[in-house]
Amino acid sequence: MYEPTLKNLTNVDYGKPPDSQNQILQELGTPHIDSFNYMIEEGLNLAISDLLPVEFDTKGKYRVKLTLLEATIHQPRVPTGSLGVKSHSIYPLECRQRHGTYSGRLEIKLSWRINDVEQMIIDRDIGQVPIMLKSKLCHLEKMSPKQLVKLGEHQDEWGGYFIVKGKERLVRLLLGTRRNFPTAVQRNTWKNKDQFFSDIGILIRCVKDDLTTVTNNLHYLTNGTAKLMIPIKKRVFYAPIFLIMRCLTNSSDEFIFRHIIKGHEDDLYFIRSVMEMMRSLHESNIHCQEDAKEYIGILFRPRFYELPEWKTNKEVCDHMLRSYVLIHLNTDFDKLKLLVFMLQKLFSVAQNKCLIEGADGIMMQELMLGGHLYLKILKEKLQTWLNLVKINLLKVDQGGQPSIGDMMTALRRCDLIEHAMTNFFATGNLNSQSGLGMQQDKGLTILVENISRMRYMAHFRAVHRGAIFESMRTTEPRRLLPDAWGFICPVHTPDGTPCGLLNHLTKSCIVTKSISRKVLRDIPKVLVSLGMCEASYKPQDINIGFVYNVILDGRIIGYVPETLTALFIRKLRTLKVKGKQIPETTEIVWLQKKEENILGQFPGLFLFTGNARMMRPVFNLDLEQIELIGTFEQVYLDISISEDEIRPNITSYREVTKTDFLSHLACLIPLPDYNQSPRNMYQCQMGKQTMGTACHNWHLQSETKLYRIQSPASPLFRPVHYDALSMDDFPMGTNAVIAVISYTGYDMEDAMIINKMALDRGFAHGSIFKTELIETKPHTYFMRDPFKEDLPNFLGVDGLPHIGLKLSKGTPYYSYFDEQIQGFIIAKYLSNEEVIVDSVRQCGDFTTGRKIPNKATITVRVQRNPTVGDKFASRAGQKGIFSKGWPAEDLPFTESGMVPDIVFNPHGFPSRMTIAMMIECMAGKSAAVHGVVHDATPFKYSEEDTAIDFFGKLLEAGGYNYFGTEQMYSGVDGRAMKASIFFGVVHYQRLRHMVSDKWQVRSTGPVDAVTKQPVKGRKRGGGGRVGEMERDALISHGTPFLMQDRFMDCSDKSTALLCLKCHTILTSLIQFKEDSYSSKIAKCRTCDSTQVQEIGIPNVFRYLCSELAAINIKLQLNIEV
Amino acid sequence: MITEAETPDDAPKKALIYIFCGACQAENEMKPKDPIRCRECGYRIMYKKRTKRLVVFNAR
Repeated sequence: MYEPTLKNLTNVDYGKPPDSQNQILQELGTPHIDSFNYMIEEGLNLAISDLLPVEFDTKGKYRVKLTLLEATIHQPRVPTGSLGVKSHSIYPLECRQRHGTYSGRLEIKLSWRINDVEQMIIDRDIGQVPIMLKSKLCHLEKMSPKQLVKLGEHQDEWGGYFIVKGKERLVRLLLGTRRNFPTAVQRNTWKNKDQFFSDIGILIRCVKDDLTTVTNNLHYLTNGTAKLMIPIKKRVFYAPIFLIMRCLTNSSDEFIFRHIIKGHEDDLYFIRSVMEMMRSLHESNIHCQEDAKEYIGILFRPRFYELPEWKTNKEVCDHMLRSYVLIHLNTDFDKLKLLVFMLQKLFSVAQNKCLIEGADGIMMQELMLGGHLYLKILKEKLQTWLNLVKINLLKVDQGGQPSIGDMMTALRRCDLIEHAMTNFFATGNLNSQSGLGMQQDKGLTILVENISRMRYMAHFRAVHRGAIFESMRTTEPRRLLPDAWGFICPVHTPDGTPCGLLNHLTKSCIVTKSISRKVLRDIPKVLVSLGMCEASYKPQDINIGFVYNVILDGRIIGYVPETLTALFIRKLRTLKVKGKQIPETTEIVWLQKKEENILGQFPGLFLFTGNARMMRPVFNLDLEQIELIGTFEQVYLDISISEDEIRPNITSYREVTKTDFLSHLACLIPLPDYNQSPRNMYQCQMGKQTMGTACHNWHLQSETKLYRIQSPASPLFRPVHYDALSMDDFPMGTNAVIAVISYTGYDMEDAMIINKMALDRGFAHGSIFKTELIETKPHTYFMRDPFKEDLPNFLGVDGLPHIGLKLSKGTPYYSYFDEQIQGFIIAKYLSNEEVIVDSVRQCGDFTTGRKIPNKATITVRVQRNPTVGDKFASRAGQKGIFSKGWPAEDLPFTESGMVPDIVFNPHGFPSRMTIAMMIECMAGKSAAVHGVVHDATPFKYSEEDTAIDFFGKLLEAGGYNYFGTEQMYSGVDGRAMKASIFFGVVHYQRLRHMVSDKWQVRSTGPVDAVTKQPVKGRKRGGGGRVGEMERDALISHGTPFLMQDRFMDCSDKSTALLCLKCHTILTSLIQFKEDSYSSKIAKCRTCDSTQVQEIGIPNVFRYLCSELAAINIKLQLNIEV
Repeated sequence: MITEAETPDDAPKKALIYIFCGACQAENEMKPKDPIRCRECGYRIMYKKRTKRLVVFNAR
């Protein structure tokens, strides 16, 4: 059993990069990197071969065919032709600093034929595409910590993200429906689709090997028929299921019929419905495969404008079936078999013979990974690119035979890929014609903020349910369902809008990667050797009774007789754990047939080997080995948590550790099992907002904003997982001596008092680093204006500020020479805050010359030592505001003369029930007194062996009171207090919310141009706002003058002239009297009356009157004066 | 240092800038108009040196 220690600081290897990276931290990036590597190694060329060749006729009737043969992405390298460059590799650090994109060349091989004569293959770069860090294409992939540190990276860099325009961007993990599994779903919206549609359907999300996705639904219609939904380019079509079946096979009706009703011979309703559907197809005069294909071809031809007009209707139909119906299957017969299975399931569900599955459970879900989305987008863009080549070739076409020159001209005009890809990663917005089978097209990438280590880590394990659910009224998708156990952390989800939708994977959860093609190909053979019957095998004579269909990744490959299934699965599991013939990441789901009157899922034996599924290790008691189990698989397994829970012959698995169901962050909370559960959720939030050690390469960073504390410390009470994650390398808080006492009166409502002496010694001191990219126009260069005499005090000869210069509002910031106006421009520093210049960098580019903008980055440092109003929190969800720095001499002291750093109000405990913080207080104190660190791993202590007793005894051994309390003396008059005071050491975090970023005051200032009301927003110098609810409070208090003051006098008070005859404020005007130019008179312009009164109104009211006048509404003010 | 043909009358006089490379730490001398590129290794990010002038804030 590992016990935490403090020895790592005295270790001889301290400060030296280790030989290998921390494995747990590496796994944070693994799912992302695996998916990207799959794209490079297999996916990309699978996608290329799946692209539709572009065929067209030129003006001169030459038939051109364009086919992409191959695509390769290269490592990030300096463009060829750059002179004097020593290292040709581009490393991520440079891209971050230069605000560039970490990208490599995309090279393609394009084959083109004229009148079916092969022309010379064109080999060409078509742009730079972003590259994921630590993927196979990244230079950092196999580097040792030492090499990484040399390149300015961290020793434990785990990659998985992209660098686009200098920002670290990660593709968000999204939960989506499990691929290639027919899920029974009930959706009320389906009822309104068309006549007879019911709310029941079988949904199958088909995913090909190149990750192309199409969702087909098989709908149940209340007239006893079924229709298949086929989505084509964001439009959906519904085809009778038998029309599609007829297209897929030329077998006789009887064969199809026998096949469908097999195993359902006693279901008369089903048989009647099937016969009815078959009859109605004949009634529409479709009798054979040819008829059906012809019919569908004619119907869908206008939808497929990408197909050349000389394709026959049959070919159009084949294209439709290939790319839009059950696309994960390659042969028509496989598709037919699956459709039959879906039809059987549909009728079974519709007749209430088995259960609705629903898409909200984790068991029916899998993830969408970065590399996979990348591949999908790239595939679509390449298809668009091919079409663009066609368009451009037709533009240069003069009627003759297209030459290689024409082709090159056309290709030069096709700059599409680079912009599209960069734009996607920079914004997270998907710009696609087909929608790529995605539920959302916004917010697909996120910025990986490095506020603290916790925040940074959490980004890589965050999974989102989808943006559309955020706006949904129902709470159904937010619910924590039992099948999420072990995969989704129940603690680590934010509160508020994203609650339950933004989740985090548990620390033990892995995401499967693709398995080798060869192993996959051999699986059916292995299954047959284990006792599976191939689908075509029909036993003669004997009746084998009920059989389970074996469905491997959505393909029906055979069946197993019911009597043999248990044995079959046992053998299969043995092979799975061995991991040779059957991959370790296979998910074996046996949906057993239930007895009469018990509803269960539609029976079948499902095997999943695909990527992007969540799995986790558990201990198989039978085989006495670790086995990976999937989300769907877990539902049908009996897993015990501890050894003593095992029930013989029922339990078959045991959890590896008790904390496997927690995420990394939840596992860093000390003794979370002693806290009230929401407190643990709060701590997961606050841990991510802590100011800490975000990085070690401060001098190399060019992140917009970085927080740092100057004197962090290692917590004295911490879970083992803290060391496993090497959190000591990025410490985040300080150990504070706290006294739980109500002492000063400055600590009401979660406020806390900090010892002034502690502050003076540097308690929680910190700073913020801000980096600004300065880009000047083309035809300029940085230089100091030599004619301004005081400028050398601020700027160097290069026109950039001296390092160490204190900047305040109005200080010269940088200066450059503009060649177009032949003069200098001096920019002033604009922010109100005083900062110090920390580092200045000039950034060059590969393309040189005056026409590109000049780039420099200036990093400034803002001192942020604790001030009243800053936020602090312990690690138990106990946050508080620093309310007063109290002189040490006035604070209470113990008998040994200890004075607390923090005075914590005891009222914070009863309602919040954060027992872990109290235990920490005792544990920290005993750790400090004995010079050790204590283990705070969850579930370590129990009712029999309590934490309080353990630490109490230790405290006693150290000469303290068993309960952690101490006799204290008042700091004011020195008298001993009657009550013993709870006194100990607690690890405190300083949160990033600071008053200096939040204060907002205003008396007068900028106003809105239209309404003349004060603007809103701290940045623009706006005011704090008194809104509708505040107004209600003022009314209820009966304070009309205060209201008048807030809403009129301090807002947009103005005067207006009211005509007492026409009762409007728009018509009156002040004019000179006609006879003299000396005196003025107010007069109404419409009625010429001089009965005009000046009144005070809000300016918006006048605006309202004018707007109403514009739509012909007169507003009368019936005021009597 | 500056020839007449190069600079029109109203163009500013050029002073040398000392700057060091982000990759090889070599000190580079350059003129304001020069492209930002290390002469030793061709790296594209150059750091400004710490100033030798006195940067002292009055303690108040």
